[in-house]
Amino acid sequence: MRWRFYLHFALWSALFAVFIWISAPIVGSSVMENRIGPAETNASIDTYLRALTGIEHASEELPDAFRHLGRGGRIIIFVRDENSQSKFIGMLIGYVSWPREVQIIVVSSEAVDQELAGIQPGLVAGVVFCSVSPPPWLQNRIRLSSKIILVPVTESTP
Amino acid sequence: MTVLGLIAALFTIFIAGFGAALLIFSRLERINLIECACLGWLFGGGIVSLLLWVCGIFCSGLLLQAIVTLGCLLFGIVGWRAKRQSKAKFHLPKPADAAEWILGGIIAVQILILIFISFKHTLGWDGLLNWELKARYAFQNGGTIPATYYSSAGRLFSHPEYPLGIPFTELWLYLWMGEPNQFWVKIIFPLFYAVCAPLLAMFVVRLSAKRRAGLLIAALLPFVPAISASQGGIVVGYADIPLSVFYLAAVGYLLLWSRTDDSRFLIVFAACSALLPWIKSEGIILWGVLVLLGFVLALVRRRLVQLAASIAPGAILIFAWRVYLRVVHLLPHSDFVSPSFTMLRNNVGRLGDIFRILFTGLRETSQWSIFWLMAAVALIYLVSSRKLERVALAFAIIIPISLYSLTYVFSGWPSYTAHMTSSVPRLLLHVMPAGWLAIGLALSAAKREIQTL
Repeated sequence: MRWRFYLHFALWSALFAVFIWISAPIVGSSVMENRIGPAETNASIDTYLRALTGIEHASEELPDAFRHLGRGGRIIIFVRDENSQSKFIGMLIGYVSWPREVQIIVVSSEAVDQELAGIQPGLVAGVVFCSVSPPPWLQNRIRLSSKIILVPVTESTP
Repeated sequence: MTVLGLIAALFTIFIAGFGAALLIFSRLERINLIECACLGWLFGGGIVSLLLWVCGIFCSGLLLQAIVTLGCLLFGIVGWRAKRQSKAKFHLPKPADAAEWILGGIIAVQILILIFISFKHTLGWDGLLNWELKARYAFQNGGTIPATYYSSAGRLFSHPEYPLGIPFTELWLYLWMGEPNQFWVKIIFPLFYAVCAPLLAMFVVRLSAKRRAGLLIAALLPFVPAISASQGGIVVGYADIPLSVFYLAAVGYLLLWSRTDDSRFLIVFAACSALLPWIKSEGIILWGVLVLLGFVLALVRRRLVQLAASIAPGAILIFAWRVYLRVVHLLPHSDFVSPSFTMLRNNVGRLGDIFRILFTGLRETSQWSIFWLMAAVALIYLVSSRKLERVALAFAIIIPISLYSLTYVFSGWPSYTAHMTSSVPRLLLHVMPAGWLAIGLALSAAKREIQTL
């Protein structure tokens, strides 16, 4: 029955060889890619928002922009359906705007008007559009980046 | 100061866990230093996160940090005293020959490389929004997550219902560093790998008595691309690798207890399995699987009473977390609908798609190479051996994968296939180290077992 032992040995040797043969280039490239750092407090969130919106130090810039909206009132964030980048930006904005209450609304371009009509100005401090075009009639736009537009909400708007 | 704080945080975690491990193993003549160190990290993370959660209900800020630090030091001191009183000695297993030195060296270098590459990546989507977010909000609130977070409809995307094992370990680092630093916090994930590799080697050695096989398997472990090169891996700060390490430890010590009837192994099993639901929600399924397998092993070995005691910590933790979520008025939210026979009857047609997606995922060489093919061969070996522990290990891999897949019958997503495609690779990670244990045992099968194949 010694041949069974040799078969066992050959089987596992072959499996391990194929395993390493396929894995090594994939793992090797993951080891080589990217560079270390920077060792900053908001390293991850700033990297994402810089890549997606072009805003530097967005974890500080965005809360600063929201602070001008006053203390109270929630922020409504419009994100585009079937657009994972838009949704991700919306979530990141939700993340950095803590402790302010946020509401993320997933819309198609046509549905924005309808959703805006339902906003109660007294309860909402501002509306953020993430890769969503605001309706042409909406005034007071603040373009934070090519993909993020902030519209402060006052008693008279929208 | 940030780095000094980081070192202090890691040190206190390690001291607490090491003390707890010493308490368990203090009556041994020789305490395996590597085993104690590995368990030190696993237990330490559990102790610190649980202390922060429980004490955070009553206090916050510096007082909370001081109490948890004292708790950590207390574990260390009590463990050390127990070891001294029993006159146990530390034992550092050393490689016996050149081959073992080389394999041991490779494992050490791999751990250093994984720590290094962790700092080259940002936290991933889940790592940032599901885990780190909770740590940051708690840090900004003096060490406790504000109750308003749980009832914030706008932040349901961050899954407030997820447990706090990982976020509160991150929080501990933040409290000591004095800032929520997203760069340094990533250190905790490769440390879970640094625990996984030696534990895996140790289990293979103890269950097969073959050291080279154990070291070889641990050296092959990081070549699974999913560990370092895909979503859910170590570098992106997800909870899946930590969960898989706890599962490996729980399975390994359960098998050792079954084989030896040493109650110390059962205590470690109890601790590791109890922490599964504290790391990630899916940990409840893994805990349930271990309870089932433990019941079968205990029934055959006639040790049901001992097993019942070991299940209690996990059951208490699951119950306590459910109560807590109710008290803080968690908004109901789930990716799954409530299971019912009607729903099952309506959605049973999904099974074909579910298993097609599962097998496509298992065959994905960019994430797994041929790992699952090797695991499948190993499972044939284990089942053919007709040895109780080996068959139990096979089921510890098969049952979670089957249960995970079946949950998609109740997926609440508009597209259950999209739900499954996005999450299955990470779920498979949970049993991957246990799969390597199966491969290690198959590789080191005795000649007599090979003849039964």
